Amino acid sequence: MVKLMVVDNERDICDFVKNFFTLRGYEVFTALSGEDALKIIETEDPLIVLQDIRMSGIDGIETLKVIKEKRPNNRVIMVTCIDDLSKMEKAKKLGADGYITKPLVLDDLVKAVSEAVHKLKPNK
Amino acid sequence: MVENINNEKDAYTWKVIHNDLVNHIQERPHFTPSGRLKAKQKIDYRLVIENASRSMIRFKKPERLIRMIVRVITEQVGVDHAGVLLHNEKNKAYVLIDSKGVIGKKIPVGYIRIPEKNALIATFDERRSLLLDERGVLTYDNLKAILKDKDLLKKNNELKERINKIRKEMELISANVCIPAYFKRKLLGILVLGPKISHRKFDRDEIGFFVTLANDAAMAITNAQLIENLQEKIREVEHLYEKEHRLFIHTSIALAAAIDARDPYTAGHTARVTHYSLSIADELEGHKEIKQFNKFKEDLHISALLHDIGKIGIRDNILNKKRDLTKKERVIAMKHPEIGAAILRPIRELGNIIDGVKYHQERYDGKGYPEGLKGSKIPLMARIISIADTFDAMTTDRPYRKKRNIVESIQEIKKNSGTQFDPKITEAFLRAYKKGKLV
Repeated sequence: MVKLMVVDNERDICDFVKNFFTLRGYEVFTALSGEDALKIIETEDPLIVLQDIRMSGIDGIETLKVIKEKRPNNRVIMVTCIDDLSKMEKAKKLGADGYITKPLVLDDLVKAVSEAVHKLKPNK
Repeated sequence: MVENINNEKDAYTWKVIHNDLVNHIQERPHFTPSGRLKAKQKIDYRLVIENASRSMIRFKKPERLIRMIVRVITEQVGVDHAGVLLHNEKNKAYVLIDSKGVIGKKIPVGYIRIPEKNALIATFDERRSLLLDERGVLTYDNLKAILKDKDLLKKNNELKERINKIRKEMELISANVCIPAYFKRKLLGILVLGPKISHRKFDRDEIGFFVTLANDAAMAITNAQLIENLQEKIREVEHLYEKEHRLFIHTSIALAAAIDARDPYTAGHTARVTHYSLSIADELEGHKEIKQFNKFKEDLHISALLHDIGKIGIRDNILNKKRDLTKKERVIAMKHPEIGAAILRPIRELGNIIDGVKYHQERYDGKGYPEGLKGSKIPLMARIISIADTFDAMTTDRPYRKKRNIVESIQEIKKNSGTQFDPKITEAFLRAYKKGKLV
């Protein structure tokens, strides 16, 4: 089972995404903050990360940076808002693997995740 | 369904709805605490919510009605989640604006959208009768049943594809029933219901009831939008009026400055007369001749600014003469109110503002000019400007005499109350003076 982590300050979103991708055959971990996400990256090493760009505490950009340093082969999809353009630029430079704009189209979310799975290095 | 509800749940439902109603529609007497239904009494939640939604249709905040509908359906019908997608112009999509449900099933508010082009939306937009039931509702069971009808689909690949797309969309949001809400022919929103926690099917009555609620919500949303649009229009009109009014005032000030510039002795005269006139008017709120106080003050403002505009037509040697005017010259000088009225008459928007200009030299006893009007025949605006004008003339230097002191001038005005001036206006003038507004 592919491990997927959802990182979002909103518990509702974490719960929903967990249920949504569990039903679709993923093993899902939830992190309510960047701090939690970095712990889970160490212990569980989820290959796919679905992460909100705007977070309190360690924000989405900083979390992305650390994840990409520690696990360069893991795929990180950023969830953004339309007016997050400057943050999106930063995320691009740091090697984010995909973007999805909130409010999002669920079909796009499914596709973005499965594309990220396809892009994973085979030896991983 | 209704019979199964136990008393405890009834009481809770009522509490929920009651709180909503007491909070939001206190003016409706049958919902006040004194009219509270007894908790023990069996309540048909449909009746309560229907009544509530009826009253809320007229309400300004449709979100509250939507929130209540979603909450009551989730709790009373026992679905694992329910939500409302509402059309959003900016996103060109239907966005989830409210939802309830069990952990993990509840779709977070604002998290998802369904684009306008989506097959599900298109089906509601076109009101395709085949996929929707007779009330326009889309159910997952119905789609599955149609997909089993091989004869029907054999000839129609496009239909099959479309049904599969809709089915996929319903699976993504784990919807069992989708109920559209329209205004005229436009799809405003969709009420989305997940499966029942009991795994039972939705019955016809229930779905019929949801359709009613969806329509009520659509009506409430539309009304709120119409009200909002109307308020927007009113704000625009008010803004335009404001702009036009400012232009009017500034034009009048410019004209008044032109008059003042010709006569060094009366420099600032117009500004002072305007100030005195408006101060007197403030003491006249509620006067029987004033219908709309603010409008009256606006008109008086312009009238006072323009009251001496006719002096433009009087020769300098008369206007600035240091000695007494001859009889002939006085006749010419006395023409300025009429000249002023004649200058302004082409500006139709001024209306009765011109009266203040034309009649500000009339006297209450009928001995003034140009027409010798008497008492209340003299327009109110003119009666006000008359006192303001006289007071300023007394308290400033003139070519033919030095100014008097204020106390003397006030005495003089009092003395002429009932002869030169309207006694009521004189009283208002004295009140304004005592309040220190004329200094």
